Amino acid sequence: MNRAHKKTILSAAYYVGGTVIALLFLFPLVYMLATSTKTESVYAADAGSLAMFLPNFKDLSTAFDNYKTIFTAYGIWRYAVNSVVYAAVVIVLNVLINGLAAYVMAKFDFPGKGFFNFIIMFLIVVPVETSIIPLYSIVKVLLGLKQTASVLAVILPSSISIFNIFLLMQFFEGIPKEYEEAARIDGAGNLRIFFSIVLPLSKPIIATVATFCFIGVWNDYLWPTMVLPYAEEGEWPLYPIQSALTSIKSIQGITTGEVMASLVVTSIPIFVVYVAAQKYIVQGFGTAGLKM
Amino acid sequence: MLTSTIAIFVVLCLIFFAFVLKDVLLAKRRHKKYRLSTCASALLMGSPAIVLGFLFVLLPIVYSLAYAFTDFYLLRPNNIKFNSFENFKLMFEEIGQKGDLFNAIKNTFTFVIGVVPLQIGLALALAIFVNRQKRGVGIFKVCYFAPVVISLTVTSYLWLEILSPAETGILNMILGWFGAAPKDFLRDPDGAMWWIVLLSAWQGCGYQMLIFLSGLTNVRKELYEAASLDGANAWQQFIHVTCPGLRSTFVYVVVTVFIGACRVMTQPMLMTGYQSHTVTLSYYMYVQGYNYRWVGYSSAVALMMTIVIGTITYLQRRFLREKD
Repeated sequence: MNRAHKKTILSAAYYVGGTVIALLFLFPLVYMLATSTKTESVYAADAGSLAMFLPNFKDLSTAFDNYKTIFTAYGIWRYAVNSVVYAAVVIVLNVLINGLAAYVMAKFDFPGKGFFNFIIMFLIVVPVETSIIPLYSIVKVLLGLKQTASVLAVILPSSISIFNIFLLMQFFEGIPKEYEEAARIDGAGNLRIFFSIVLPLSKPIIATVATFCFIGVWNDYLWPTMVLPYAEEGEWPLYPIQSALTSIKSIQGITTGEVMASLVVTSIPIFVVYVAAQKYIVQGFGTAGLKM
Repeated sequence: MLTSTIAIFVVLCLIFFAFVLKDVLLAKRRHKKYRLSTCASALLMGSPAIVLGFLFVLLPIVYSLAYAFTDFYLLRPNNIKFNSFENFKLMFEEIGQKGDLFNAIKNTFTFVIGVVPLQIGLALALAIFVNRQKRGVGIFKVCYFAPVVISLTVTSYLWLEILSPAETGILNMILGWFGAAPKDFLRDPDGAMWWIVLLSAWQGCGYQMLIFLSGLTNVRKELYEAASLDGANAWQQFIHVTCPGLRSTFVYVVVTVFIGACRVMTQPMLMTGYQSHTVTLSYYMYVQGYNYRWVGYSSAVALMMTIVIGTITYLQRRFLREKD
């Protein structure tokens, strides 16, 4: 066997291996997409054969019936709207609040700065993942968790992120002093400098923060389920979409196809974000490595 | 609760003032001056973060420490009594009787032991597999990353369908081709946790694959060329060039995956509910604190968890970084 032959065979083996692994990774998702197009009778007919992984070819006119049902009868779009609103508010607050704090820490000289530096480092190094129950008790006493207050309970704790302060601080420190000084000579105040010089210069890191924020809020399940009340009949529900999945799944007489369609609808926005913000997500990995 | 919150705030303020005093005295000795207007605007601009950070980050941590030694019951928040190590005694009794806490520790241990090597190994293998200039590799990357996009909630509900005990469930169908009888995977006391390990690794490993990939691109190409000139085969190259080059990435991935694994909760919660063969530590803590409203005891469990996770994380860092 000559070298060229060996190379072709190796290359073919590579592609075959890669494809097999890809199929192993994709089959649950393919199943989810395929089933979401099937009515109960088609689903039952396909069960037990490879047709489970194929979309509904048997009865094309009903292919989108599940989606119609979850949008009109179960109103899944309302939960999606909630999630989008929560995410948007959290992103804005997160960038503003943590950005201002990071700006102060990076560029200001004031007595007692060491105290805040110490707290930031402490909170970053020590794993504090387990304080959700005390947080719940604080929020419950503080906000009472009545209708509107419970929305604040979803938004406010997500709006502060020590890690983001740390991330932004490192970035702001790299902005040359000359920019600020020039603006200060022109008579700009601190806030003015923050909004019209620091923020515009930090677009990449802010995009990274915003992207991870969106993914975090959209995928959060436990906390919103804990603090938000069930929707009364006829009221606009407050649940975000992940929490709503549990109630949708327990609707009487819901079909497998409809459940799968809900899962698809829940996943699409995140998919779009991953595709659109790829660059910033990879940047996030770079900065995450810095942390250690 | 209000009084204790104010007390904590006052203590923090006192520490802060100590820092301020030190800085001011130092500044005086060095003839440096702080401008009052700068200090004022710093405080003003930082105040939203200070308020939220105090209420929602710092306070929960302090409270989870403090509550662990009390009998705090959420339905009577105004009558909290200090009960020293009572909660911890109860915890050990529960472990001794092989109660739910014992199961929770056992299951969390199983999950961590399973998911950390599996997920990191898979991620590393996939990263090396796709880290080459070949046509179509990008498609493979997207395929392996795809499960990361779906949330844990979606993952749980999707796999619930795949692992369905019915004859028509996908896994039972595939096993059926080989003549196996249908099984109820998630009710199997010995196997259920391992299925959760498998689906969690499936969902998560694409993320670490990308982190490893960005680490791999930082390994200098010349090193590989030099190694192959010296006659190193692929395996030797991996051991002597790739591994040292990936060290810091590896430490980061091990620590984050480990911490994430210790907190596992959504999958068992949504797939099996509170069952003794799948309950995990976080889930146990949550049920005690949220469903039974027994915040004191729940905080004690959380405190122990934090200490154990913190110690192991510290050891991992020390151990893995040693050779730097």
